[in-house]
Amino acid sequence: MIEAYTHTLLMIDLSRTAVETIPVPAPYVREFIGGKGVGAKLLHDRLPPGTDPLSPENMLMFMTGPLTATMAPAMRGCVVTKSPLTHTFLDSYFGGSFSPEIKYAGYDGIIITGRAERPVYIWIDDHRVEIRDAGHIWGKDALDSNEAIKRELSDDTIKIAGIGQAGENLVSFALICCEYNRQAGRGGAGAVMGSKNLKAVAVRGSNPVGVSDPQRFTAACKKAFKELEASPDVEALRDAGTASAVEFANETGLLPHKNYRNGTFDKASKLADKGQRKHLWMGSNACMGCPIRCSKIGAVRTGKFKGIVTDIVEYESAGLMGSNLDISDVRAVAHLVKLCDRFGMDSMSTGTVIGFAMEACERGILPSPKDVDLKFGNVAAAEHLIRAIAQRKEGLGALLAKGVRRAAEEIGNAAEDFAMHTKGLESPAWGPRGVSGMGLAYMTTDRGGCHQRGFPLAYELGGEWEDKKLDPLSTEHKAQLVASLQNHSAGTDTLVKCDFGSFGISTETYAEMLSAAVGREITARDILETGERIWSLTRMFNIAQGLDTSQDTLPKRFIKEPLPDGPAKGHRITKDDMATMLQEYYQVRGWDTKGIPTEETLARLNLTQS
Amino acid sequence: MACSFDLFGGYNPRLARLSILNKNEKLYHLPVVCNQCEQAYCLTVCPAKAIFRKEDGIVHIDQDRCIGCGLCARYCPIDMILMDPENKKAYKCEMCQGQPLCVEACPTGALELVTPVKTSSSPENRSNPEAKFAPDDRETN
Repeated sequence: MIEAYTHTLLMIDLSRTAVETIPVPAPYVREFIGGKGVGAKLLHDRLPPGTDPLSPENMLMFMTGPLTATMAPAMRGCVVTKSPLTHTFLDSYFGGSFSPEIKYAGYDGIIITGRAERPVYIWIDDHRVEIRDAGHIWGKDALDSNEAIKRELSDDTIKIAGIGQAGENLVSFALICCEYNRQAGRGGAGAVMGSKNLKAVAVRGSNPVGVSDPQRFTAACKKAFKELEASPDVEALRDAGTASAVEFANETGLLPHKNYRNGTFDKASKLADKGQRKHLWMGSNACMGCPIRCSKIGAVRTGKFKGIVTDIVEYESAGLMGSNLDISDVRAVAHLVKLCDRFGMDSMSTGTVIGFAMEACERGILPSPKDVDLKFGNVAAAEHLIRAIAQRKEGLGALLAKGVRRAAEEIGNAAEDFAMHTKGLESPAWGPRGVSGMGLAYMTTDRGGCHQRGFPLAYELGGEWEDKKLDPLSTEHKAQLVASLQNHSAGTDTLVKCDFGSFGISTETYAEMLSAAVGREITARDILETGERIWSLTRMFNIAQGLDTSQDTLPKRFIKEPLPDGPAKGHRITKDDMATMLQEYYQVRGWDTKGIPTEETLARLNLTQS
Repeated sequence: MACSFDLFGGYNPRLARLSILNKNEKLYHLPVVCNQCEQAYCLTVCPAKAIFRKEDGIVHIDQDRCIGCGLCARYCPIDMILMDPENKKAYKCEMCQGQPLCVEACPTGALELVTPVKTSSSPENRSNPEAKFAPDDRETN
């Protein structure tokens, strides 16, 4: 019978050039369902504390979920590994067609360990797995190497995940490109891949993926499609992707400007859907099987950067590579983001790192590179730094390639005061000073300061959550709100869902699709409980890897400097605010005052074995 | 996905009887479906006379007659004939008895079922090189 799970993991040890398949342990599936959960469990159980993320021992996993590759709308895959940027658990999600292809080839996940002696790529053609020489591709960017591999294998329908020069050069925030315009973007998974001398993983799968109860599954999918159609958020995404968030963030004072000094940017609309529609977009793009089609595609037709094909400049890139650097020409921002895509590096972290360097230079504690005026608003300076970082050129490129936390440590001179990160992960494009719950989310996310494991600001600005009145500036109810959203996120990230799908699809409908697909009754409550279990498991992993409560914090700028503009002008998240929310949050989670899960909590979540 | 599920009881777009052609970093994506060609090479080259056209114009493959040689797939200009990985026989889009599942599943309306308007150049008004493979002939062969 064709099933939703393949029950098989493909294990590849590049040091020994050994390939084997192992069954997914049944308890893992029962307790953790798929994607994030099973990945977290494998990492927790198999990776010794203190493992260097760039050592051969680190595990690089491409995980799917039980609904990946089925008719269930808006599904993705995830990379799970230990991050070289944060030294914590890392899960990084990607849409497109790569993750379904893994399932079609017959695997629930691919786990790569070791380090090849010389550059290689992995070619997976159903059950045939080959480790091939990549010497002639090494040094090419993410898109050129993709094309070269397809030509070499004489099939342009093959799906490829690969790295650019940034991954090869171990840039701490290098990404994995999952073609096209889809990336496992955050946390430096590309550097882990580069450290293994692994240029790409190419997959072709010819097997069908089935479901346990087709009739029930089809009905559940229909319901999910209906819920998506009924959602105004989905409608907005279909119309303008995430670009319309630029104006929203600007109006609410959450848009980073000049390395997060300000929360508004007077030229925001140029970067938003209005500007992008005019200068870039030609059509829409969808990931496989997704009716949302949030992605817009087009080209820069005029001006200095004409000729490039560009995906939508999604909100985070518009915010961090545009507004945050005081750049308002959306064509220039598209160009900078495209450079990052080609080099294979996270445009979010890159934007934050460049903003940091510009401020440091303006303050006189970092010398400007020769022939470049390193200051806000200078597109040429941003481009110079992108090239220098990706290739670790000059002292400055090598320094910034370590990420903003380590760069600030090395520069000294109170550079930490404006290094925007939590646990080493550069901050996303939502300044939290006007929304304290968002601050708590950054403080407590398992992979470092991230906006995607709970997005409380939508409720905070909306004014209510589960019949509770919310004040965006107050700390009240924020701990419950954040923990609840994180549980939902982790529980559904095991399926593996896309965040935008969950704007429309209810947890009950996810549960219905899941139950029908896998032939086991799983309720919405089970999904949320699985999320809670995963959240405490990744916490245990992080603690074992050396994390402590002192890192559950915010960048100093958000704590010390009141927001100078916008509706929340004058507000900051004080140390007292942080301590109040954090202790309440630990309590909600059943963790002790130091943020360590208690024995009772581990027993309640069936994690005692862990 | 709807198409592959109908055929194999599982999802995989590679098995479907239509595809999406992506070009230039997905700037372009074009749905590719069987044209039910007027001069259908698949039908012309089939040595087993397994491929025939019904009165509604749709080109079908008789699975009992197909010998799995793959010539039809080789000469289809748009790769719309596939080989069943299990029984090794050829299959193609036969329009789901007039109610295509792909059209039903398409969320955007990009796929629509349309009826061609007959013009003076319609097949019946010209000498048709495929006429010898018309269903009635096939039955008597």
